Amino acid sequence: MTLSKRAVWALAVLGFACGIALVPGIATSDFAEDRGLWIALDLVIGFGFIGTGAFAWRRRPGNRVGALMMATGFAWYLSVAPLVDSAFLFTVGQATSNLFVATAIHLLLAFPSGRLEQPVDRLVVGVAYLATTVGALIPMLFLDPVALGCANCPDNLLLVDSNRSFFESWYDSLGVVGITVLLSTLAILVARWREASPPLRRIVGPVFAAGGLLMVGLAGLLAVSIAGAEWQATKTIFYATLIPFGLVPYLFLFSLVQARMLRGGAVGQLVATIGETAGSGDIRDALAVALNDPSVDLAYWLQASEKYVDVQGRRIELPDSEDETRAVYHVTLDGDRVGAIVHDPTVLEDPDLLEAVGGAAALALQREQLEAALRAKVGELEQSRTRMIRFGMAERRRLERDLHDGAQQRLVSLALDLRLAHDMVRRDPAQAEQVLEGAADELGQALEELRELARGIHPALLSDRGLDPAVETLAQRAPLPVEVEAKLGDRVPEPVELAAYFVVSEALTNVVKYAQASQARVRLERDNGLVLVEVADDGVGGAEPGRGSGLRGLADRIASLGGRFEVVSAPGSGTTVRASIPCE
Amino acid sequence: MSKRVLIVDDHAGFRASARRLLQCNGYEVVGEAADGAEALKLADELQPELVLLDIHLPDADGRYVGRRISSGREAPDVVLISSRDIADLGDSIERAGALGFISKAELSGESLAALLT
Repeated sequence: MTLSKRAVWALAVLGFACGIALVPGIATSDFAEDRGLWIALDLVIGFGFIGTGAFAWRRRPGNRVGALMMATGFAWYLSVAPLVDSAFLFTVGQATSNLFVATAIHLLLAFPSGRLEQPVDRLVVGVAYLATTVGALIPMLFLDPVALGCANCPDNLLLVDSNRSFFESWYDSLGVVGITVLLSTLAILVARWREASPPLRRIVGPVFAAGGLLMVGLAGLLAVSIAGAEWQATKTIFYATLIPFGLVPYLFLFSLVQARMLRGGAVGQLVATIGETAGSGDIRDALAVALNDPSVDLAYWLQASEKYVDVQGRRIELPDSEDETRAVYHVTLDGDRVGAIVHDPTVLEDPDLLEAVGGAAALALQREQLEAALRAKVGELEQSRTRMIRFGMAERRRLERDLHDGAQQRLVSLALDLRLAHDMVRRDPAQAEQVLEGAADELGQALEELRELARGIHPALLSDRGLDPAVETLAQRAPLPVEVEAKLGDRVPEPVELAAYFVVSEALTNVVKYAQASQARVRLERDNGLVLVEVADDGVGGAEPGRGSGLRGLADRIASLGGRFEVVSAPGSGTTVRASIPCE
Repeated sequence: MSKRVLIVDDHAGFRASARRLLQCNGYEVVGEAADGAEALKLADELQPELVLLDIHLPDADGRYVGRRISSGREAPDVVLISSRDIADLGDSIERAGALGFISKAELSGESLAALLT
C-alpha cells in the first residue's frame, strides 16, 4: 500500500487522537475494572503501534509492515472501546475485540518483507481474520451483558435473543480454532527463525521472540477459559500476555536502531579500514562488517574483457534477478562501472546504509579492480602460454609425420629404384632407363613436398619480399578465386609479418577445407599503428574458433603480440576472420 | 628356387618399388597388404615363405602383427622394415619374433640374403 508521506502522518495523528479520546471514556466508566491500568495500556500499546507503524511506513512505503502495525494499533483501540460507557462503542468493540490478534498474526507472519510468502501463511491469517470478525459477530446476537452479570454494562445493540449457553458453547468452539491458529503461527515463526540467515535472524529475532510469547500467552488464555477457570486467573494471564504484545513495536524500533548504530559505526570503521588496507580481501571483510552480512561477495568489473572477476581474477557470474537468495548492488565511480557487491537480500532493508557503504567502498574497489584485472591478465597469459606450448608440440608432431609420410617415403622409393636401375643397367638397359625416369619423377615430387613443408615453417617469400607479395602468392595457390587488397607497403616487424601471414594462410586453408565457398577476399592494411588482416568468404559459415586447434593457435599467437583476433561466422552467411596486430 | 614373399606397407609407391626390386633379385612376390588386418589375412591365405613387414602400419604396430604371423607352425620368416633407422626403434625388434630388420632405404637383394642365410 502506498500512501503519500503526508497521508501517513495524518493517519498517525488520527491514531494518537483516538487513543487520547478513549482516555476520558475509560476514566469515567462505571463498570470497567482496573481503569488506570487500561488507560496506560490504551496509550502505551496504541501509541507504540501507531507511531512505529507510521515511521516504518514512511521509511519504506513499498513494505506493508508499517501499514500492518498501524492497523494493529487501531484494532487495539477497538478492543479497549467496550470499556467506555457507550452502547455503540460497547457493541462495536465487543464484536471486534479480538481483531488485534488477527492483525498481529498478519504482521508477524509478514515480517520483515511485508508479504505473506507461503500459502500456509495466507491460510492461517485468513482463518484468524474470519474467526475474529464473522466468528465474533455471530455470538454478539445472543450476548446479554446483564445476563452475564454485568449490571452496569451498556446495551448490546446487536442483541436478538439472550442465550447464554449458545453464546458460551460458540465461544468454546471458537477458542479451539483460536488455539490452533495461535500454535500454527508459533510453529511457523520458529521454523522461519531456524531457516533465517544470521543477518536476518538479528533483524527478526526480538520481534519473533515477543510474537512467540504472545502466541503462547493467548493460547494459554483460551485454554484456561475453555477449562472454565476463575475470571481473576484469566484476567491475570491476559494482562501478562499484553506485555510481549505491547513490546512488539518497541522491539521493532530497538532492532532498527541497534542495527543502524552498529552499521553507522561500521561505515566509519569501513572508511578507516579502506584507508589502511593494502591487501586484497580486506575490503570484502570490512564490507561484511559494515553491512552486517558475513556472506558478502565482491565482483570487479573488467571493462576490457567485459566480465566480472573475483579478487583472484577468476571469472564470476552475478546472480540474476530471479535469484531470491542473493541481491546485487552495483558500485560506480564518476559514472564508470567499478564492481558489484553481492549480498544477502535482507541488507535491502536498509537502502541508505547500502548507499553509504557502496559510496565509501567505491574508491577502494577501483583500486582492487586494477589488481583483479592484472590477476585476470596473468591467468589469461598462463593459459595462453600453455596452449602455445601444446600447439607448438602438436605442430612439431605434425611436421614429423608430414616429413615421414611424404618426402621421406618418396626418397626411400627413390633409393630402391636407383638400386634396381643399378642392378639392371647392364642386363636390361631399356628397363633400367624406365626405372630411372620414374625415379626422377619421384624426386621432383619429393622436392615439391619439401618446399611446401618449408613454406609452412617459414615462407621464404615473406622474409625476402614482405607480406603483400607473400599473401598474393597464397591467394594464387588457393584452388578458388581470391581477391586480394594488400596495401601495407612498407615492411612491418617480422613477428607481425609472420602472424599476419599465418592468419591468411590458415584462414584460406579453412575456406578450402570447410567453407564450401565460391570465392574469398583478403584485405591487409595499416591503420593507426595496427596491421589489420581480414579474410572473408561467402561459404556456409558456422566456424567455431574454440574448437579447432588451428584458429585457437592463431588467436594465441595474435594475443602474444598484444593484438585482437575474432571470427564472425553465423551459419549461412560466410566466415570472416579478422586480426589486428600492433606494429609499433 | 624362388622365395614367395608378401609385402606389407601402407605406401603404394614403396610397395611398387620393393616389388620390382625383389622380382629383379629372383623373389616371387605373391601379394601386397596395406595394413595389419590385411597382412594377417593374406599371410594365412597365401602361405608366403617371407613377409616384409613395415613397423608403422595405419591400424596396428608391425611388431605385434609380426609376432602373430610368426607364431604358427610352418610360419613364414618375418623381416621388419621401416623408413626410420634401427637406432630410433630400440631393442623392440628382437622381441617381435622377427628374423631381422632392414631400413627401407637399404633394402636390396644382398641385405635380404644376408638376413636369410
